[in-house]
Amino acid sequence: MAVSRRDGGVGQDVLRRVGEASVLILISLAGGHKHGYALIQDIKELADVELGPGTLYGALDRLERLGLIEPLPAEDRRHPYRITAPGAAALRVHLDSLERVSAAGRLRLQLGGI
Amino acid sequence: MYDPQATRLVETALRCYPARWRRRHGDEAAELAALLIRDGTPAGSIAWSYLAGAARAWLTPRPGRPLSTVACALLVAACSLGVSAGLLAPAASARTASTSQAHGSTHCRPGSPAPVPGVIPAMGRPQVIIWEAGHGRSC
Repeated sequence: MAVSRRDGGVGQDVLRRVGEASVLILISLAGGHKHGYALIQDIKELADVELGPGTLYGALDRLERLGLIEPLPAEDRRHPYRITAPGAAALRVHLDSLERVSAAGRLRLQLGGI
Repeated sequence: MYDPQATRLVETALRCYPARWRRRHGDEAAELAALLIRDGTPAGSIAWSYLAGAARAWLTPRPGRPLSTVACALLVAACSLGVSAGLLAPAASARTASTSQAHGSTHCRPGSPAPVPGVIPAMGRPQVIIWEAGHGRSC
């Protein structure tokens, strides 16, 4: 789905179909590079969501295939990842989209007096 | 805390992943599981998460393995299941038939229907087949 951006351009919301886990991973990596365990801990703090390890690795593989994250050199047995420039751009587009939907929802609740 | 049973459970789940995945993530995934178990996550839930992840890893098409290959693999699996079911169904009906015959008489009757070639003998109960002058007797 194409969404309008604040700068007037049109960006593709590639994160619309990747699932919540992938979005949370990107948000976590936006704060700096992390490996699997650190990601799970950060997402638990950030969103109160406990990612299963199988879900985590599935999402990491998918995001890497899409070029939204990239692996860094391994530290011992741990493989840290960082968000790429296209990943940051995709996250911005997705968060803008969520903000608009959220604002519209709040407005309708207000107008409906619910 | 080291729990050999929990470790074995997680290792079994990790073995379900494709080899290329295990080469890349296997060591880290085992370490991650150990850390999560230490934090209090049940080993069963970790193993289940890895099992679901393994199923997704097998079904996700990757570069060099087009979607048609995945579809073919699924088709072969479905056919194997179909053939197995097809072999078991006549065996079950043959067992039902022999059981009803056994209820009808108290001794072996010469001239009972000969066993059908290619049918797997009924499972769970040994079946004795005596071949006598071209006639099969089933007891």
